Amino acid sequence: MLKVNNLTKKFGDLVAVNNVTLEIGTGEILGLIGPNGAGKTTLFNTISGLYPPDRGKVIFKGVDVTGWLPHKVCRMGMSRTFQVTRAFTHMSVEDAVRVGAYNRCSEKTVSARVDEMVEICDLADLRKRVCGDLGLASLRRVELARALATGPDLLLLDEAGAGLNTTELAGFMNLLRQLNQEHHITLCVVEHVMQMVMGVSQRIVVLDSGELIASGTPAEMSSNPTVIQAYLGKRAIPC
Amino acid sequence: MDLKRYLNERSLIWLALLLAALLIPVFFGTNQYAMVLVTTVLLYAVLAAAWNIIGGMAGQLDLAVGAYLGLGAFTTGTLLIKWNITPWVGMLVGGIIATGFAFLIGFPLFGFKIKEVWYALSSSAMVEVLRVLFLMWDGVGGPTEVYLPTVISPLYSLRFNTYIPYYVIILVLLIGVIFLNHRIRSSRLGYSLLALGEDEDAVEVLGVDSRASKLKALMIYAFIAGVVGGLYGCIYGFLHPSFFSTALSTEIAILGIVGGLGITYGPLLAAIVLVSLKEYLRSQLGGGLEGLYLVIYALFLIVVALYQPRGIAPLLETGYQKIKSLFGVRADVKSQ
Repeated sequence: MLKVNNLTKKFGDLVAVNNVTLEIGTGEILGLIGPNGAGKTTLFNTISGLYPPDRGKVIFKGVDVTGWLPHKVCRMGMSRTFQVTRAFTHMSVEDAVRVGAYNRCSEKTVSARVDEMVEICDLADLRKRVCGDLGLASLRRVELARALATGPDLLLLDEAGAGLNTTELAGFMNLLRQLNQEHHITLCVVEHVMQMVMGVSQRIVVLDSGELIASGTPAEMSSNPTVIQAYLGKRAIPC
Repeated sequence: MDLKRYLNERSLIWLALLLAALLIPVFFGTNQYAMVLVTTVLLYAVLAAAWNIIGGMAGQLDLAVGAYLGLGAFTTGTLLIKWNITPWVGMLVGGIIATGFAFLIGFPLFGFKIKEVWYALSSSAMVEVLRVLFLMWDGVGGPTEVYLPTVISPLYSLRFNTYIPYYVIILVLLIGVIFLNHRIRSSRLGYSLLALGEDEDAVEVLGVDSRASKLKALMIYAFIAGVVGGLYGCIYGFLHPSFFSTALSTEIAILGIVGGLGITYGPLLAAIVLVSLKEYLRSQLGGGLEGLYLVIYALFLIVVALYQPRGIAPLLETGYQKIKSLFGVRADVKSQ
């Protein structure tokens, strides 16, 4: 589905993403983890076209989309959500979803698509509400709904679980599994909330200081010394 | 045709407004001052309604209506003076030239992601640049006023002795522009513009070409301003580089903002309230202390900014719902 080859993104002297190579297979749920400032969001921004990369290639469905504008990448079938929710604060929930729905729909079919997305993301009660009035948990669902409405094959979720309580998180994880299994959407989740990333991911890659340091199953990652070191520092007492 | 779909209460209100607008010349037609006033109100309303597409929906603080207006006026006027081409055609040509100019300006501006204050400053500077260029361009009159002739017939050269025909033409234009606003608002372009006005990156990843959408909005707006410009020249009967006015450009933006950004009937409402208020204040206070009317006008704007920052149109909406509930009609809870 997606191949990232030797991707590098610099901001001045700071190398935010350094020579990252990774692959996301069709139908997969890939977890992308790493400590604060590891370059996860920058990697997302570079893949989705918001930043042009300094070096390397992004190949999506066999097409080189490096340096493409985000809307073109989206038309190819890739969408994303943002870490800090970027709600259209003055628009109603259904209108916000409609913006995304136009990506694959004509004026005639767009309303049906909006209804469908509102249903899937459990937003029926909120659909007339203005986004600016909603709480974080609802906003995350709105962001998901409008990204889904674009009809993506690959969906990048940037910390979609952050700030949710346990119940909300469980619901969200179920939703992600449903999207993956029933709607055949490949997912890449950047996550801080370990419960979520361990719960839904089939494979995990770990980013630290802009570099890929490990990859494997969730179980492997939670016991991998390099990963633990990146998160917690070196173990003082070996055990 | 499915009449019932169009005959809801909202369209009835519009119909009543239209009827009232048509009755104005019948009652006040002989009062030249009243006709000047209502024509000016409508003229400003059309420009503000056009501005609403780029400024209200797309959220770009455009201060260049004077540029497109001036281009339209000079095109129309020059075609009439030099080649006896009727302003009916001239207005269209003026609109097309304004659209082309908007493309030339908008393409690089949006391409380089110039927005917010920088876009406002760039657009404002453009008006001034055009003003100076036309001052130096002797071929179309340079610094002197050039008067428009009446050739063949008043209808052919759009030169009337009374304001009534102008009023009717602008009214038709206004209806067209409001209808266009409404159509855009409920189309793909409208949703894209509204969303990109809030967050451009977020709409891009939803598959919206934000640059192309803004460019489309700018060109539609410029076309209308160009057409209105052609009429503007005919109404005043002369051409002068002062048509490229930064003051007028700012005033149109103010109308759009005070009316309520992105709201279809906002500009009309703002034009009715503000232009009449200003004119009334000027006629009442102008003789005494010069400039006092502007102070009061400014105070009014400050009050709106403080207490009604989303514009005065939402005020009308809530008032309308209240009246409905007073008469026992269930107030339908609608998000704006």
